[in-house]
Amino acid sequence: MDPLVYVLDFIVLVGIFSIFSLSLNIEFGFAGLANFGKVAFVLIGAYTYTLLSNINVPFYVCLIAGATASAIIGFLVSLPTLKLREDYLAIVVLAFGEILKVIVKSEDWIAGGVWGIPVYPAISVTGSSARLDMVINIALVYFCLFISFFLLQLLANSPYGRVMRAIREDEVAAEALGKNRAKYRAQVFALGSAIAGLGGGLYAQYLQFIDPYMFAPMLTFTIWIMVLLGGPGNNWGALLGAGLVQLFDRGANIVKDYLTLPIDPSNLQYIIYGILIILVLLYRPQGLLKESQVKTKAMESIFNGRGFAKNRRG
Amino acid sequence: MVNWAQVFVNSGITGSLYLIGAVGLTLTYGLSKFPNFAHAEFITLGAFFGYIVAEPLGLGLPPSLVVAFLATGLVGLLCYRVIFQPLSKKGATIIHLMVASIALGLVLRYSIGAIWGWEPLYFKTSWPSFDIGMIRITGLWIWLIFVAITLAIIMHLILVHTKIGKAIRATNSNPELALASGINIDRVILVTWFIGAGLAAVAGIFRAANTQIWPMTGWDIILPIFAVAILGGIGNFYGSIVAAFIIGLAENLGVVALMALGLSTSYRIAIAFIILILTLIIRPEGLAMLFRRS
Amino acid sequence: MEEVLLKIEEVSKHFGGVYAVNGISLDITPGKIWGLVGPNGSGKSTLFNTVLGIHKPDEGNIYFKDRCITNLVPHQIYDLGLVYTFQVPRLFQALKVLDNMLVAGRGHQGDKLLFSLFFRKSWQKKEIELAEKAMEILELLKLDHLALSPAGELSGGQRKLLELGKGLMASPTLLLLDEPAAGVNPNLGRSMFERIEDLCQKGLSFFIIEHRLELLFDFAHWVYVMDKGKIVLEGKPQEVAQDPSFFHIYLGDE
Repeated sequence: MDPLVYVLDFIVLVGIFSIFSLSLNIEFGFAGLANFGKVAFVLIGAYTYTLLSNINVPFYVCLIAGATASAIIGFLVSLPTLKLREDYLAIVVLAFGEILKVIVKSEDWIAGGVWGIPVYPAISVTGSSARLDMVINIALVYFCLFISFFLLQLLANSPYGRVMRAIREDEVAAEALGKNRAKYRAQVFALGSAIAGLGGGLYAQYLQFIDPYMFAPMLTFTIWIMVLLGGPGNNWGALLGAGLVQLFDRGANIVKDYLTLPIDPSNLQYIIYGILIILVLLYRPQGLLKESQVKTKAMESIFNGRGFAKNRRG
Repeated sequence: MVNWAQVFVNSGITGSLYLIGAVGLTLTYGLSKFPNFAHAEFITLGAFFGYIVAEPLGLGLPPSLVVAFLATGLVGLLCYRVIFQPLSKKGATIIHLMVASIALGLVLRYSIGAIWGWEPLYFKTSWPSFDIGMIRITGLWIWLIFVAITLAIIMHLILVHTKIGKAIRATNSNPELALASGINIDRVILVTWFIGAGLAAVAGIFRAANTQIWPMTGWDIILPIFAVAILGGIGNFYGSIVAAFIIGLAENLGVVALMALGLSTSYRIAIAFIILILTLIIRPEGLAMLFRRS
Repeated sequence: MEEVLLKIEEVSKHFGGVYAVNGISLDITPGKIWGLVGPNGSGKSTLFNTVLGIHKPDEGNIYFKDRCITNLVPHQIYDLGLVYTFQVPRLFQALKVLDNMLVAGRGHQGDKLLFSLFFRKSWQKKEIELAEKAMEILELLKLDHLALSPAGELSGGQRKLLELGKGLMASPTLLLLDEPAAGVNPNLGRSMFERIEDLCQKGLSFFIIEHRLELLFDFAHWVYVMDKGKIVLEGKPQEVAQDPSFFHIYLGDE
C-alpha cells in the first residue's frame, strides 16, 4: 500500500474513533453513565447513513439523520433505567446491542443481513486518486470532529456541565439540590448516542461497506479503553486515548505480519487490552489526563476581579 | 399442531439450565453489589474444563461436572481476590467493577481462544433418547434436570442449615450487622464467588453438551441469565429459581409464537430481553418481594 | 392564625417491620428556628429524609405551603423552597468547593441543555451573581480560602460547613439542617448559629436536628423531642430542658 495513504488512513480512523471516544466520554466521563453497548448506536448511525445514501439523499442529511436516529433510540433504550442504579443501564444497553445485532443479521431486507451492503462515499470526485479521497475524508471527518469537540467543550464548561458532574459524584445530593437526574441522564444519553451515530455514518461512508460483523462488542470495549486510558472527564483525554489505542492497534497489526509468536496475535491483542484495562483501573483510574474542571467566563472574571489569581490552585 | 407437552418439557430443561447458570451470578451480584460480566466466561471455562475431562480422558459426565465445578470455582475465587477485592478496597465504583469484569471476561475468553482455538468442539458422547408418549427426551436432558434439582436442594440446605450458609444470608441482607456479629465477611465473599463460578461451570457443560464448545459458549446464554437474576431479584436465591423457569417457559412459548409468525427463531433471546425490560419498568426489585429471606 | 409552612400529619415510616417514624404530627410556622432533638436512633434523620422525599411515608401526609408533597421527589421539593442538608455531608468530591456551592444555586438558566450550548450570554450574569453570593457564604463559614480546592480535600469539620453552605446557597424558604454543628469547633459552631439567627430575622425559617443542645437551646424558639419514632415532649427550650422526663429520654429508659 502507498505509505502516504497508509498514514492518511491512520489519520482518518483516529478522527472517527475520536468522535466515538468523545461520545462515551460525555456519558461516562462527565455524567457517570455506564454505556456498555456503545457499538449499537454506532451501528444505527452507520446503517441509517447507508440506507439513505443508497437512495441518493445528500450526505450531510444522511449524517444528521444517522445522529438523530441514534439519539432517539438511545433515549428510548435508557428510559426504563433512568431512575435506577447505574448497573441497570449497563445491562439493558448491553442486551439491546445483542438484540440489535440479531435483528440486523436476520432481517436481510434491511441491509443485506449478514452479507452487508456497500456504501457510497459522501463526497466523490470523478477520477480522483486514493490520496485525494483520503484527504477529502480527513477534511470531512475532522470538520465533524471539530464541531463535536467544540460543542462538548462548551457543555463541559457550563452550569450544565457542572450539574452533570454533580450527578455523577452524588446523585442523591444533586437531586436534593433540585436537579432532576432522570432528565439529565436521558439528555446526556441521547446526546452521546447522537455523536456516536454521527461517527457511525462517517465510518460507513469511509469504509464504503458495512455488515453486522463490523459492529462487534469489541468495538464498544475499544472505545472504553480509549476513554479510560486518556482520562475520563477530559475531552482532550478522549482524543489522546483514541490516538494511542489506534497506534497500538496499528503496531499490533504490524507485529502480526512480521513476527511469529507462540500465541495467535489477534487473541493476544485482546488479552493485552483486557489486562491493560484492569491495570489502569487498579493503578491509574483517572487516566493519563486529569479530569477537566468547569471553566466559565463568568467565573474567570470573578477570580481576576477578586485577585484570586494569587491564591488559585488547580 | 403444536406438541404442548414437548414445549412444557423443553421449558423445564431450559429453566434448569438457566437456574444453574443464574444462581452464581445473582449471589455474587447481591453480595459484591455489581454485575459480574465475566460470569459468561466462567460458564465457558466450565465447558472447556469439562471437555478436557470427558474427552481426552474419556471419563464421562459426572467427573466432568465435579472437576469443572472445582477448577472454575477456584478461578472465580482467584479473580475476585486478585482483581475485584483490591479494586473495592481502593474505592472503585460499581462502574469500575463492571468495566473490570468485562476486561476480565475479555482476558479469559481470548485466552481460551488462544489455547483451544475458535473452531467449535463437541462432546463426543452420544445420549440415548427416550420417547414417553408425545415427549422426546434425551439422557443428557434428564441429567440436566436431575442436577438442577439436586443443586437447588443442596444450596437450600447449605443456606438454611450450615454456618456458612447462614453467614451468606446475613451478609446479603445486612452487611454491617453481619460484620458486627463477628461474621468473617471476606470468607463469606470468597466462598460465594467460589460456588458462583463453580455453578456457572456446571451450566457451561450442559449448554456445551447440547450445542457446541467454543469461547462464546457462556456469552451465548448470558442475556437470559441476567434476565433471570434481575427477575428473581438480585441476590435472591429462591427468586432466581422461580425466575429461571418463568423465563424458560416464556422462551419456549415464544419460539412457538415466532414459528407461527414466520419469524426467525434467533429472536428467542429477544424474549428474555423483553422480560428484563418489563421487570425494570414494573418492578425493578423483581420477585424479591415474594420471598422475604430473614 | 399563623400560616403553616410545613405540616407533618401522622407520618409513619418503617423498615422491615421496625417503625423508625411512628405517627409524627407537627407544624412549622415561618420566621422561627425550630429544633428537633432526641437520642440516637430516635428517627430524626429518617423523619427529615421522609419529608424531603428520599423515603416515601408508609402512612400520613406532608404539606409544604399548603401543597401536598407526600409523593413528590426531592428535586420537586427543592423547587418549592424546602431544602435539606445531610447529616453526613454529601459533597461533590471531584468538584471545587465553589462549584459545589454553585450547583445549589437556584434558577440558573445555564442548567438547561440548549441554553448552555447556544444562548450563553443569557446566564453569564447569573453565574457571576451566584458566585458572589457563594463567596459571601463561604466567607461567613471561613471557607473562602478553599473556594478553588476540590471538595474531596476538606477536613471533616470543613465538610460539615460546606454542607451548610450548600443549604444556605439554595435560597430556601425552609431549611432543614441535620446536625450542622457536629464536628465543628465550638466558637465556629456558635457563630454559625448566630448567623442562622440573623438569617431567620431576614425571613428564612429553620428546622434543625442537633445534639449540641447548649447551642440549639440558646437559639431555638421551639423544640420537639423525639424518642423511638414518636414526639414525646415539646415546648420552649427552657421548658423542655427543665422537664424531668427530658434526661430520662436522653439516657434511655432501661
